[in-house]
Amino acid sequence: MTRLLYVQGVPIWRNVVALRWAVQVVSAVVVLSTIALFLLNVAREIEARDIPFGFTFVNRAAQIPIGEAVIPYQPSDSYWYGLVVAGLNTVRASVLGVILATAIGILVGVARLSPNWLLSRIALAYIEVFRNIPLIVQLLFWLTIVLTLPRVVEGYVIADAIFINNSGLYLPWFEAQAGFWPWALITAIGVALAVYAFRRLSRREIETGQPSYPLLAASVIAVGLSLVALLILGPLAIDIPQIEGRFGRLQGGAQLSGSFMALLVGLVIYTSAFIAEIVRAGIQSVGKGQTEAARSVGLSGMLTLRHVTFPQALRVIIPPLISQFLNLTKNSSLAAAIGYPDLVSVANTMTQIAPAISLFMIVMVSYLSMSLLYSLLGNLYNRMIRFKGA
Amino acid sequence: MTARAAPAPLPPATTVGLLGWLRQNLFSSRGNGAVTVVLAVVLVWFVFNLGSWVFVEADWTVIISRAPLYIVGLYPYEGYWRLCICLLLISVLLGMAWRAWPNAARRFAFGFGAVMLFVGVFPHEMAPDHRALLLLNLPLIGLGYLLTPRPADASPGRLEAMAGSALSPALERVAIFSTPRRKVIAVFVALVLTMILILGIAGVPGLDPVNPQDLGGLMINLLLAFFGIVCSLPIGIGLALGRRSSLPILKVACVIFIEVIRGVPLITLLFMSRHILPLTFPEDLNIDRVYLAGITITIFSSAYMAENVRGGMAAVHPGQAEAARALGLRDWQNTLLITLPQGLRNIIPAIVGQFISLFKDTSLVYFIGMLDLVEMGRVSVQGNQEFIDNGREVYLFIALVFWVFCFSMSFISRRIEGALGVGRR
Repeated sequence: MTRLLYVQGVPIWRNVVALRWAVQVVSAVVVLSTIALFLLNVAREIEARDIPFGFTFVNRAAQIPIGEAVIPYQPSDSYWYGLVVAGLNTVRASVLGVILATAIGILVGVARLSPNWLLSRIALAYIEVFRNIPLIVQLLFWLTIVLTLPRVVEGYVIADAIFINNSGLYLPWFEAQAGFWPWALITAIGVALAVYAFRRLSRREIETGQPSYPLLAASVIAVGLSLVALLILGPLAIDIPQIEGRFGRLQGGAQLSGSFMALLVGLVIYTSAFIAEIVRAGIQSVGKGQTEAARSVGLSGMLTLRHVTFPQALRVIIPPLISQFLNLTKNSSLAAAIGYPDLVSVANTMTQIAPAISLFMIVMVSYLSMSLLYSLLGNLYNRMIRFKGA
Repeated sequence: MTARAAPAPLPPATTVGLLGWLRQNLFSSRGNGAVTVVLAVVLVWFVFNLGSWVFVEADWTVIISRAPLYIVGLYPYEGYWRLCICLLLISVLLGMAWRAWPNAARRFAFGFGAVMLFVGVFPHEMAPDHRALLLLNLPLIGLGYLLTPRPADASPGRLEAMAGSALSPALERVAIFSTPRRKVIAVFVALVLTMILILGIAGVPGLDPVNPQDLGGLMINLLLAFFGIVCSLPIGIGLALGRRSSLPILKVACVIFIEVIRGVPLITLLFMSRHILPLTFPEDLNIDRVYLAGITITIFSSAYMAENVRGGMAAVHPGQAEAARALGLRDWQNTLLITLPQGLRNIIPAIVGQFISLFKDTSLVYFIGMLDLVEMGRVSVQGNQEFIDNGREVYLFIALVFWVFCFSMSFISRRIEGALGVGRR
């Protein structure tokens, strides 16, 4: 190092190595001192203006109601637990939203490329309408629609089991009985066996050319085993919602509140418009020769899409798709505007008593870890699809 | 014995004309035909229902009676004429754009003129002088058009053809915005004048300062989105350069900043800035929430802008940098003179896309208590017994306003892309 810094006949302010070091040090000092200055300033002001800050509050009782919860919650539970409940509400909306938005997005994206002019134009209209309107406007609109549904007693009832009214959607749902865990174990074993059979049979099909029906065999094993166990053990009972009392309160079954419905519908429609564009671009990125070759070896339109176009398009589709999933998760924070108790909404309510800055630090870290999870997923996929060999 | 003639083969299906088009695009097979019929029935049913709701059942008084609130918020009535003059400045700029990029901006200029004409003659309560100012937009679009010379590669417009050759020297003399520099100066002057007119200056008669809190409605959405994009461009370029640099601490700081901002929802950033940003200012300086929103949106947007810029720079062919180095350019000259300018041209469509999504995101500023278009609508529905059942009308109207802006911007960006030759050079 010293040898490099003192080159004969070259003054130090002309020495490339010395200059580079100087720039590194100066930039580091500038960046670090800016950050430190900002943080110190904020910390001093928090102290001086007597703004509550700190994380000791998380174990105190939150004393706020949360409208709906995936796991049992009472206002006497701690702030910490309340935030977990709210976080699970965010996860619930995001997971359901991601699944539905992907399904609808793929449908619309494929419809956009349909040879049927009318279908493709309707898909185009769907995309252009819904992605150009702010999500919050759509959410407020859907909430209005949900709220104008009839009351519980006059609401729509389908087959005496599904209730739709202004308090939400009520579906029959399962209730675990005594034999639930043994049944779950048997089902898991069945799935494992099915995966094994699928691999074995597909290898055989590829090696020998004999049709071996791997998908059929695997589904028969998994579903069959699970069904037999279901009949013997009787682990699940079906819980049908029922109207109780004079004022019409629905009990039992799975309950999706009105604001949750509005949130889900809004998120799914908004995101599916973006996903449809991604799917369209992905499919169009596959060379035309591929489709033509598939058609010329006799594959039908659907088979071409499934076996030739889609697998190749996935490479282009998946990375932006994952970033749409992340967007959907972040957008679910708009639930705060329509009264669904998600992470942001609950944290915002808690700020009435608890320190606001600390609360939102927790919220931001939660979202950051979710987005890290998504980018991990994306990296895994990228590693998986990298061209092998060559 | 006569040979029986074989039945003549049917003529091939026609592929031309209306019938041929229908056969090819809607009824190419039996399944396709069934899909077409089902969709057509559903579409007719939908359009019929929507039409009957819009024109018969819906009650639009909630929009018409409080239109100014949706457009400009609580802006004082005495200052409306100033906003009208801002519109006139925009008209001149639109006229210039129409002339400079006829394909991209013509429809936009037409649409803007049509809206002004519609509002100007619509039978509702409006002062006649405001009406006159709105209608003045139409000639001013024409003025902007005339002040700009015809681009070299464009054929003479209809206007010039009508005027004939006698007028063309006069037209050339009028066209004062002839160089890029003059155009930039014109845009810059218009922007400064707009800001002065909207916010006002203390002590100047007629230009009484407006409380920034009273800015609202669609105006604040547009202003926030516009300044967010403009201010975030330099910050984004800086962040992108920092992320590409070889200085470890600077690089890490930029990466963390970009990824944190991109990883959290805007709504949490707005919340944090409401509580933290005031701490970085002196206690007696009571900063208005409009500026808080502006700063937050700029920070938010700059992280996304940085990724756009980085992507654009990465797309510049490495041969460019190698050639620059071969010519003896230093690293910083290479970045600033070769890679960055080419990278910026690559991201013009991305910037327009980001502007659109930022414009939509400005609807979240309600979270720090501002009355933007969406919040105005929400307040007028939920805070008003009279209009409690008119939510659908209000939200559809707001959706339409946003849609028109976003859709026309994405339309223009596609045209500008073509005009600048992105992807062809």
